[in-house]
Amino acid sequence: MTTSTEPSPSTPPTSTSLPPTALKAARRILPPAVTGQERVLVVILVVLAVVLSVATPAFRTAGSWQPLLSSVAPIALMGVGMTMVIIAAGIDVSVGGALMVTAVTTAKLLVDQGASLPLALLAAAALGLVLGTVNGLLIAYGRVNAIIITFGTANLFQFLGRQIFASQTVNGIPGTLELFGRGEAGRTFGLPHSFLLTLLVAAAAWYWLRHSRPGRHLYAIGGDPTAARLAGIRVQRLTLMTYAVTGLLVGVAAVFTVASGTSTLDQSVGSGRELAVIAAVVIGGTSITGGRGSVLGTVLGALLVQTVASGTTQLGWPSQLSDFFVGVAIAIAVGADLVRQRTRRAR
Amino acid sequence: MTATQTRPAATTGGPSPARRALRSLLTDRIVLLAVLLVAVVGWMSLLGAQGYLTGAYDADYLSGALVDAVPLAMLALGELVVIVSGRGGIDLSIGAIVSLTGMAFGIAYGRWGWSLALSVVLAVVVGGLLGAVNGLMVAYLRFPALIATLASYYAYKSLALVVTDATPISDPRIGALYSITRSVEIPVVGSQLPDVPLGIFTFLIPAVLVTWLLVARTTYGRRLFAIGTNDVASEWSGLDVRRTRFAAYVIAGVVAGLVAVYISGQFASARPDAGTSGNGLALPAITVAVLGGVAITGGIGRVAGVVLATLLITWLDAGILLAFEGNDGTQYQLLALGLVLVFAALLNGLTTRRFTGSR
Repeated sequence: MTTSTEPSPSTPPTSTSLPPTALKAARRILPPAVTGQERVLVVILVVLAVVLSVATPAFRTAGSWQPLLSSVAPIALMGVGMTMVIIAAGIDVSVGGALMVTAVTTAKLLVDQGASLPLALLAAAALGLVLGTVNGLLIAYGRVNAIIITFGTANLFQFLGRQIFASQTVNGIPGTLELFGRGEAGRTFGLPHSFLLTLLVAAAAWYWLRHSRPGRHLYAIGGDPTAARLAGIRVQRLTLMTYAVTGLLVGVAAVFTVASGTSTLDQSVGSGRELAVIAAVVIGGTSITGGRGSVLGTVLGALLVQTVASGTTQLGWPSQLSDFFVGVAIAIAVGADLVRQRTRRAR
Repeated sequence: MTATQTRPAATTGGPSPARRALRSLLTDRIVLLAVLLVAVVGWMSLLGAQGYLTGAYDADYLSGALVDAVPLAMLALGELVVIVSGRGGIDLSIGAIVSLTGMAFGIAYGRWGWSLALSVVLAVVVGGLLGAVNGLMVAYLRFPALIATLASYYAYKSLALVVTDATPISDPRIGALYSITRSVEIPVVGSQLPDVPLGIFTFLIPAVLVTWLLVARTTYGRRLFAIGTNDVASEWSGLDVRRTRFAAYVIAGVVAGLVAVYISGQFASARPDAGTSGNGLALPAITVAVLGGVAITGGIGRVAGVVLATLLITWLDAGILLAFEGNDGTQYQLLALGLVLVFAALLNGLTTRRFTGSR
């Protein structure tokens, strides 16, 4: 992998040992870099942005889309991990609970210990990693149904989170995390750092899933776990990894959440977030039954969900109505995907 | 299909009685739940008698706690039907249906002054229609159930809030409905027994009986288990798979409509977030169904298991509430529910591997 003799820099690193003909075949079986679902999402997003810009001039101002991108960041970041989990035919409904635990711990570290930004980030990521590993160990090695076990750990995480909250809000959170906040210090060229970092992570995950050996193995596991095991793929270890990575990203998302919030953190943090993350992933075209999906779609899905929410309020409609449009968006996105799959199969 | 786990243990006379008891404890969810239920109630009563609890954990308290068991058990039965129907069947939107039908019921009964019977019929029809939307997406359009009901969860939850601009309907007529959750004395033998919430007789027992008859004693029930066990085989043996599965989601919606009426009475107002506030009603209902032995993969599930699981969770929660001062108990309820669920799932995996020889 490191002693690459291939001339083209775009060559997938895993295929360096393959002869050229096999390489061509490998390229052919790779899914397209941008899927149909993602093209549809881009079109919908552009249309939505144009319509909103015309309907409400306020949407064009930076004051409108900067908070939008800030709010996309945690959802999209957790979505990156969730995409890996779902590609390998799993699911994690405990990310809301895990977000609560990591967010309140981060906030407490900042208030009580006066932790610095790197320390807070490291602690949150490490704690998230531990929580994700618990899920992963139970699912991969306990061999239990993922949705059931994560319903269980969601309850456990919420218990843990509320114990740390100790029935109070966390007050007086200092501006230590302003680098990822909503203020001027949290932006470069007008773009929130949290969003930029999310894009970076998503790009790395996109490449890893598409071009690395373990990344391709995740798709194989999602397609047929038994066949994957018989083909020599370490199914359990990779499954564990997907949940651990999701946990780690939840930890980082918690830092974003605390940073972009007010100086007070209350117990509703993380509540219902798991459904928003799953919504972003499935809108992005990842198949809930595993074996198919991409991180790029997830980021677009998160953008769509948050744009719809932001657009609803800016059009002066009741803010509760935004969830209705999210529901419709899920139904349409998944419906379109099903129709495309069916036509492909019919051909 | 439902009793396959218990049969071998009962007919093969090989192992010793002790081993057979252990085996049925581990493989038969109903036996396990019954033992756990006795253990929890016994242990909590003992703690109460020793003065470790902040209140009396006696028959009156247990019977009063059943007020909360009614919606939980009914929704779990709705989930039973949906999950048994297979192909990843699940209904995440059942709590949101409760919210939205509750608002429809509240408006009809409280604002338009419809009669109670007509309003209940409306709640049932609206619930059935909302369930039919799910059924249409899952059975006919072949959406994965998790996604379809996630979408309708968002849509229904939002509509319920928008209808009245997020304000509850607290008409005096709805307030008077509170009487359906009051405790009543059972006639004839009631003087020796604790008073029981009225909802047990008007909602829970009819719902349990009807669901049991439906899934265990009708051809529809046999079809439901058949499609849940093997979709393709059922199709080839001439069953209308899509219609059977569609009906399962309609049934869940109808049940949610009835629960909406009960909850409107319980809170003396129709709240737009009745089934969606906090963790909502759907996740606990799914949890109870799974704890009651309903296999998430479809085709397996028994009404008795769901009822026992509801009683276990209700009385465990009631005991935990007494074991802690103030509000702390609600947190430990989360802990208990999480632990019970994780261990039930682990045990399930272990026993299937140990006793059925699969993998």
